[in-house]
Amino acid sequence: MGNRVRRVRTLELAMAPLRVWIAVAVGGCALIALAYLPPRGAAPRGPRFATYSPEPTAARRRAQAVAKEWRETDASLRLLEDRQHVKWDSSRVGPAIIFRGPTLPPTAVRTVEAVADSMWRALGLGETKVRAALVIALERAPGSAPGPIPDQNGVAFLTPDSTDRTTCMAFLPANHFWTAVLLGHPPRHFEPDWLARWFQSGLGPCAYYAAYGTPSRSVRSWLAARNWDVALYLGTHGIAGERFLSVNLLGDPRYSWYWDGIYSLSPSTVACLAGRLDGCRSAVLYGADDDARIAVPEIVRLEQGWWRKQHLLPGERFLGDVARDVGRDRFQSFWTSSLPVDTALAAALRQPVGEWTKQWERRFIQPIRLGAAAPLGATLLALLLAAVAVSAVALAASRRQVR
Amino acid sequence: MISAAKCAVGGLMLITIGLPAAGSAQNRWARQVHDELQRALNVVHAHGGDRPLLDKEGTLNQEESASFTITLREGVSYSIFGVCDEDCSRLRLVLATLANSELALDRTSEGFPVLQFTPRVTAEYRIRVAMEECRLNPCWYAAGVIPSSGAKP
Repeated sequence: MGNRVRRVRTLELAMAPLRVWIAVAVGGCALIALAYLPPRGAAPRGPRFATYSPEPTAARRRAQAVAKEWRETDASLRLLEDRQHVKWDSSRVGPAIIFRGPTLPPTAVRTVEAVADSMWRALGLGETKVRAALVIALERAPGSAPGPIPDQNGVAFLTPDSTDRTTCMAFLPANHFWTAVLLGHPPRHFEPDWLARWFQSGLGPCAYYAAYGTPSRSVRSWLAARNWDVALYLGTHGIAGERFLSVNLLGDPRYSWYWDGIYSLSPSTVACLAGRLDGCRSAVLYGADDDARIAVPEIVRLEQGWWRKQHLLPGERFLGDVARDVGRDRFQSFWTSSLPVDTALAAALRQPVGEWTKQWERRFIQPIRLGAAAPLGATLLALLLAAVAVSAVALAASRRQVR
Repeated sequence: MISAAKCAVGGLMLITIGLPAAGSAQNRWARQVHDELQRALNVVHAHGGDRPLLDKEGTLNQEESASFTITLREGVSYSIFGVCDEDCSRLRLVLATLANSELALDRTSEGFPVLQFTPRVTAEYRIRVAMEECRLNPCWYAAGVIPSSGAKP
């Protein structure tokens, strides 16, 4: 009798914790599902920076590649032609302006030239050794000109070379908005200084050529290797306003970063965002070790979404800020130095490149955290589950105690 | 011989001579070197020299060079000048044969090199101008060749 009772008691003790364990497991799964599964009817959230389009066929890809090549060649030829026919107006100080597309009324041309001259003076420029010319392509209506539609999107620059050491050409396509502004039909909310800002950002490397002349071979090779991404903007403000930087196009730097945007950047760029000195140094000196061949003619093209491919954030103003920080003479020495770029830049900055860059980047971006770090919500959930598990085990253990 | 000629021409450079007006399309650096070269050539010409044989102007970036050929006559003494703009601190002037054998060079007088040369044979020679130091690229330069005074026909 005594043995029978003991056997039943053992079975009861074994069954009770099993039910508890099943309940705990189901409850845990429910909690995880509650935390991670979207509610019924919610739209699936894709990555913020990716756009999805049907995969093109091989023939279409080939056609697109040929069309791209044709547009680039056509744009290069047009810039070279324009360089031969630039008319320099000795009564003006600013860049020469060449319009393509619809003809502008003379009053509109004079207004544009006056704005360009003011912008030029605001950059501290007057008569310069290397002169700049802005080629503004106004938007054409489809079918208004025979042949394929030329490139009306990509910003491009034709830098001075041995065939013309004193002219830098900037190609600035005007979209629908800017075409309306230039034709004298600005929208109601248009502010007067927007046009000057647009010209200033459109000058790109030409502003550096005008201000500091042609760079030395080592500096030019470094800039060519990285498509001039650290010398795209010479102004004191952002590319499109008081504080507007390319970083703003990736997200608001005051808040948390879009990680899918960060994953598209190179490791050294991300390391610099995290405030690592080595990362900042590598991000700045990317391309400095290569002896990049400088093409003649050298045409610098900015693709759409260039800010996503920068090696340094916000790289477009890096050398402009270096110039303001170290002063004209020291920057000029760096710009024309035949020393390796890292040595010349460190000499101009009077401190290691990585250190200066880290401090500079902090002016615009809060450092991000790298390495293994669980989000707060996931941490709390894990702790909760752990507490439940421990409690369940403790409960089961207390029931199993034989008194 | 080179340094004597350099001093003489350098001193003469201080004398102001009526100069032709530079083209209005030129910028101030181009005008500067044009005026300086014309001044030097005029000074030598006023002191018994012949008409300039060569008068070249252009732009060079630092570490770049340009060369041109000229026929020099046996027994004639020639002055060869180089001038460069205010941002240039060292211009090198080299006279060589067409086979690039250097015959004379001046790299000590910074922005205003001068060569004095009397060929032993009438032949084509190469004059090379090298921009050794330019603070703001490109730098404008000008080079001129003029038979000096006392030249033998």
